[in-house]
Amino acid sequence: MTAVIERSVGGALTPTWTIGAPRLLAGLDRHAVLDHRAHLEVHGALPGGDLPRLLTLLDASSLAGRGGAGFPLGAKLRALRGQRPTVVVNGTESEPASLKDRVLLRRSPHLVVDGALAVAAALHARRVTIAVHDRLAEQAVRDALSQRPDGSHVRVEHVGGGFVAGEARALARALAGGPALPPGRREHATDKGILLANVETFAQLAVLVRMGWRRFADTGTRAEPGTTLLTLGGAVGRPGVVEVPLGTPLGIVLTAAQAHHTTAVVTGGYHGSWHAPLPNIELSRAGLASAGGTLGAGVLLAVDDATCALGELARVTAWLAGESAGQCGPCLFGLPALARDVQALYQGHPGAVEVALRHARAVDGRGACSHPDGAARFVTSGLHLLHDETELHLRGGCGRPVLGRLPIGAR
Amino acid sequence: MKLEIDWTRCDGHGLCAALLPERITRDEWGFPVLHNTAVNPEAPTAVRRAVAACPALALRLTNEPSESRR
Repeated sequence: MTAVIERSVGGALTPTWTIGAPRLLAGLDRHAVLDHRAHLEVHGALPGGDLPRLLTLLDASSLAGRGGAGFPLGAKLRALRGQRPTVVVNGTESEPASLKDRVLLRRSPHLVVDGALAVAAALHARRVTIAVHDRLAEQAVRDALSQRPDGSHVRVEHVGGGFVAGEARALARALAGGPALPPGRREHATDKGILLANVETFAQLAVLVRMGWRRFADTGTRAEPGTTLLTLGGAVGRPGVVEVPLGTPLGIVLTAAQAHHTTAVVTGGYHGSWHAPLPNIELSRAGLASAGGTLGAGVLLAVDDATCALGELARVTAWLAGESAGQCGPCLFGLPALARDVQALYQGHPGAVEVALRHARAVDGRGACSHPDGAARFVTSGLHLLHDETELHLRGGCGRPVLGRLPIGAR
Repeated sequence: MKLEIDWTRCDGHGLCAALLPERITRDEWGFPVLHNTAVNPEAPTAVRRAVAACPALALRLTNEPSESRR
């Protein structure tokens, strides 16, 4: 595979680059923002299409949600069983290490709007709502809607809240006037007449509708055709939002990102998992699943040998504990316990590994949303990978500072 | 049927664990741990009594076959 790398314009913008031909990020090497004219120039007009055609495209391309769960979009459309839904674009991107949805909303908003309107037309939707978490994205989407004749059909809603507020059911609840918190009952948005998907999912759909499924499947893997957006961060020379063919080996991405002395990678964000930086791991849902991890929403963070990886783990675990909505007892009490365990381990307390693993098992699956499960997965995979570091800390420490390679908090 | 806890409601009162010790124990923070969630359709009296006794209305019997969530 040849790496075709494009530099983005504008210093203050999140850098974007691609391996292979850009699809979602097309035009962003030349434009800071694709206004409607530039959008049409780069992507062309959006072809119309009814529901059967859309379902054929979705089935043939196996297009799956890009918000983390990877649920097939075609199955989600069918789950509506003919209801005329509200189409909701989930742009709340509450994962602090993820930037890809924000980059799409801020810089290529028309592609996202196209995807939402294509679904809305096929389903005869009652309304289309784009939910955003960030003022720049909100402004970019409003500007975009004012530039197009069909823009008046779309509402923009600014939604606040923390990490768990980005969860699909929490967002559906917030849009219905409730709190931005996951509900206690495990109802699906589709049961309530809501077709909700992630920003990138709608942008992928806008690309798919234009390309047709055969061209769409020109790249990627057989089971997962097309590209994916990754947010690259941590100890890399070229951080940013990157578009790569699904199935691209980790080693190629790390080399292109100028990651040096990498000791570990975190995939799938802070509900994801720690891995040794094995160059052959395929960046696809199946590839990461076979490596025991998850692609999640496409976050890829590198940890290098200049920082204390165990300290990085402790820092993020404390952050995860603080992001509990405090609704569910096992999460409210269990995540702070888990954070204390990892901190104790960092400080070299013997026996802390066993207690941490026990607390991770104790919170797994015991909440209204997947926050405790995700935190447990993150900590457990970290502790398994950092076995040697842990030994060093039991014998007085690794001697490395904690540099904060893993980003937390507002940016 | 299935025994289920609404974690947003549960305050860890512990009545369920006292009434159904063979199915429910408590974790170190006092919250219930379900060991067997499957309940036959004509749910035993003890299960129904435990559900009715929950002061927070957090313990429920549902007809849902799976616990998938997205």
